Amino acid sequence: MNRREFVKKLAAASALAAAAAMFPGIVFADQQEQELPAGEITWKKSPCRFCGVGCGLKIGLQKGKAVAVKGDPDSPVNKGLCCVKGYHSVMALYAKDRLTKPLVRKNGKLVETSIDEALDLVASKMQETIDKHGKDSVSMYGSGQWTIPDGYVASKFMKGAIGTNNLEANARLCMASAVTGFLTTFGMDEPMGCYEDIDHADVFVLWGNNMAEMHPVLFSRLLDQRLKRSNVKIIDLATRTTRTSTAADRSILFKPQTDLAIANAICYEIINNGWVNQEFVRKHCAFKKGKTNIGYGLEDNFKFKDEATGIDLDEFKEFLKDYRPDKVEKMSGVSAKDIKYLAAVYGNPNKKVTSFWCMGMNQHTRGTWINNLVYNIHLLVGKISTPGNSPFSLTGQPSACGTVREVGTLTHKLPHGVVMNEKDRKMAAEIWKVPVENIPPKPSLHTVEMFRALDRGEVRFMWIQVTNPMVTMPKLNRYRDGALKEDRFIVVSDVYPTPTTDIADVILPSAMWIEREGMYGNSERRTQHFEQLVDAPGDCMSDTWQIIEVARRMGFEKQFPWSYEEHIPEIWKEYSLFHEGAKHGMAPYQVLKSQPGAQWPYVNGKSTQWRFHGKYDPACKGNTYDFYGKPEGKAWIWARPYEAAPEEPDQEYPFLLNTGRVIEHWHTGSMTRRIPVLHQAVPKAYVELHPDDAKQMGIRNGNQVRLVSRRGKIDLPASVNERGKPVRGHVFVPFFDEGKLINELTLDAFCPISKQPDYKKCAIKIEKV
Amino acid sequence: MLVKSYLVFPKEGEKNNLVDKLNQFDWCEVLPAQNKDVLVLVTDTLDESDEDICLNQLNEIQEIKHYTLVSGFEENENHTSQ
Amino acid sequence: MAMKKKRGISIFIFILLMISAIVVLDRSLTTNQERASLGYEPEDYVPSLPAESGVFRRSEYALDYENMPDGDSFKRSLEDYYENRAYPGAPPIIPHPLVSEQGIGGKSCLQCHENGGYVDRFKAYAPVTPHPEMLNCRQCHAAPKSGQLFKKTNWVKISHPEIKGSALQGGPPVIPHSLQMRENCLACHAGPAAPNEIKVSHPYRVNCRQCHVPVQEFATLKAKWDSTDQFFRKPN
Repeated sequence: MNRREFVKKLAAASALAAAAAMFPGIVFADQQEQELPAGEITWKKSPCRFCGVGCGLKIGLQKGKAVAVKGDPDSPVNKGLCCVKGYHSVMALYAKDRLTKPLVRKNGKLVETSIDEALDLVASKMQETIDKHGKDSVSMYGSGQWTIPDGYVASKFMKGAIGTNNLEANARLCMASAVTGFLTTFGMDEPMGCYEDIDHADVFVLWGNNMAEMHPVLFSRLLDQRLKRSNVKIIDLATRTTRTSTAADRSILFKPQTDLAIANAICYEIINNGWVNQEFVRKHCAFKKGKTNIGYGLEDNFKFKDEATGIDLDEFKEFLKDYRPDKVEKMSGVSAKDIKYLAAVYGNPNKKVTSFWCMGMNQHTRGTWINNLVYNIHLLVGKISTPGNSPFSLTGQPSACGTVREVGTLTHKLPHGVVMNEKDRKMAAEIWKVPVENIPPKPSLHTVEMFRALDRGEVRFMWIQVTNPMVTMPKLNRYRDGALKEDRFIVVSDVYPTPTTDIADVILPSAMWIEREGMYGNSERRTQHFEQLVDAPGDCMSDTWQIIEVARRMGFEKQFPWSYEEHIPEIWKEYSLFHEGAKHGMAPYQVLKSQPGAQWPYVNGKSTQWRFHGKYDPACKGNTYDFYGKPEGKAWIWARPYEAAPEEPDQEYPFLLNTGRVIEHWHTGSMTRRIPVLHQAVPKAYVELHPDDAKQMGIRNGNQVRLVSRRGKIDLPASVNERGKPVRGHVFVPFFDEGKLINELTLDAFCPISKQPDYKKCAIKIEKV
Repeated sequence: MLVKSYLVFPKEGEKNNLVDKLNQFDWCEVLPAQNKDVLVLVTDTLDESDEDICLNQLNEIQEIKHYTLVSGFEENENHTSQ
Repeated sequence: MAMKKKRGISIFIFILLMISAIVVLDRSLTTNQERASLGYEPEDYVPSLPAESGVFRRSEYALDYENMPDGDSFKRSLEDYYENRAYPGAPPIIPHPLVSEQGIGGKSCLQCHENGGYVDRFKAYAPVTPHPEMLNCRQCHAAPKSGQLFKKTNWVKISHPEIKGSALQGGPPVIPHSLQMRENCLACHAGPAAPNEIKVSHPYRVNCRQCHVPVQEFATLKAKWDSTDQFFRKPN
């Protein structure tokens, strides 16, 4: 520090002291405070890079590098605590094989090139493909790891500028059923409650969610509440015994897919015992039924459209007759006693109940239905939209909500509303300054169908950013082969080499997380800003700026006019126009910069914690419930039956395969495996077997085992009585390991309403190697 | 070198605008309080005549309710001894 | 006389001005008591990790610590202590085989790590956790199964904080590290598992922060302290 700076610090210090004397408790922005002489490490806030919980981190910076992490005590999400991934997250910036130069495939080999040349090539190839095969032959595929500005410029570029709805994101594989669940029941996406529900609820029911590993920071808040309040109970309703089951007060195991029947049985019991909140249901709910026998989307060009028909309470009761607890006991393996216990928990008017779920319910061929059914339970007893009463859908990616769902980087979505609605198209065209005819009124390809179209040849150009579909697509062999076909051009923007960069014709090196400015939106509608804290290496460029550069090269300077210095605040300002108003208002940029996030609807300078109740939500008419997403302000209770999974174990393939995550790794492991602590804890994938199954086949812990499905095979070491214990006849394999691609075995069946594939159920056989 | 620090009180609702305005001057450093309507301003000027020019600019800012001096440091760099 | 670059420093501390300013401002502010509206108000945060909580935890064992064995064979060094962490302040890894992969706090890790004690299997005293109320231990503490790396890394571990002396000679040293998750001093600084270099000679005094102040949280204060040597007065 030179003399001048030192004197200035001194001057500032005396003014700070004077201010502190005048206003006890005054707080100045950390930045300045930390830059005073004593601090060797500067601490700056950022949301975590990994899951959808959206923990607030304080990142320690020294000499231009991120060197340490602590939990942000000011963040209402995690209140100072992180998980092992969060604490070590910054190490993901520094692996030696970081992509720092653009690579272009020439004669089958990747060759380094300049960033300008690479961007020119992407733009010209994209234009050439449009000229030759039409607008719908180009596509873009991103993810919930996109920051909000990334997703916003992607949507403006594809839907507004180019004029195709071929824009999808990994969130289709992850959150789509949650979205359609919300839309069909409430008419508006995303949870009505917030994490603070945890501090009020008496009972937590976890529906197929290994929260201790997947949302550990929230789970610790549950455990903390249980220590503080003796009446708090945790019920783990799952298909496999996990760390969460061990921690829960009650662990109930059910046969996969029968959650549909169990939820209906709970409703049956609630009605049968007179536990229905009559007034609430009369005033605030409507009953509907939809189509049944809706298929599984296994064939190309599968089409389905649901239709809602109004029914009355008596018809709903009639529908539930098939789900008497003793009948469901036979289907689900859950005793009638346990079903009645669950119903009593939900039905007890003196208990506040919060349900949590994530992939178990979303990656489900009836994902929309099971989301509807859990809402049914909460609606029948009126336990919703008030502190502690909360059906809460958790997310897995840092901005699945903020970017994919709120910006709408899905084929049918616009930042406000859907492409099918003329008013929404007009609004987008006006804000984007494009002719309204540019935005096609019909949705085109959802994710699975987009990769099928790439295989078939209808899509010829795909730009993949921040995700790794060559690890995550189900029935992977087909889609990899399709991508590698002649005359397909694949651009991949990423930070490390992955199986997806292996199929790329151009690799663009991306600036990651705190190497650029951005925002994420977490599961509780909280938008969180992070500034650029460290420089990106080499030619790395943010995904936002890559899209802007390519768009400008294609002649869309008018739509992408921003300066580099100001583009993030400018984008935020423009994007916020889409959400103006009490139902979805977004916090101003300066607010996001100054605090650990704000929850939309952000109205009159305040976050909204609970939606759809007049006491907490300014968008409601009156002082009580108002489900304003639906006509007449009524939420819909759906009659949705049990329908079997598309591939059940049989004689030839007698085992059921379930896939998922472990606490140490996140998504496809391309970041977490490069963090030594995390890789060393779980260095490779394995297959969990039930001890009795293992014994019967003579398999011991660590033995190599071959798993074979109708689509592929893979060898893995067996894990018996370790971290998780599947029931007999089931196996579990984590999907993070690019060296052991379990998705070569999984089935590309999806929920016909949400189009989200089911990664939790397919049939396999097991051989000892 | 003349360095002074002030406490500046913005007019109601104008804190953010004021911070933005002050940040435009290269002789200013601004440290806004997070939870109170006050900010610390450090000025860095060459000498008193230079400072006068700057203070005139400061006096023209509408968003300021009032400001008060807290401390000052003056350093003369003389190359000749007397 | 040699022409030499000479620097004359004159410093004005406007103490009088400041005091009068406080009085004047205080009056002008209270007479004009309209609530400030900034267009937005920062949300209220409930700090859930008050740095004071847990300071006294384990104090009932303080006297026992005096009587516990201190032989060389049990000693852990500060180097061992930091070896287990990705950076100073990171959650340490679990360096030993696990009792159970599925276990949660109370039934597994905390059996040894809540109160410490000798573990014959590892021929060592179990280090004591400063936060036994957090039960999902494996949320933050990973257990390595392999020493290999997936890809090499450029990560450099920064050096750990050190006591850079006291304000006055012979005064109590300051606390050079963050207290977040580690408010309970005795957990790491006392008992047979405490690293030798940082073991406190007087665990029975219990109220550690009566004499030791955390320096990280007092950046402003320190700046003020440092500035005092700049203040001098010429005799008139």
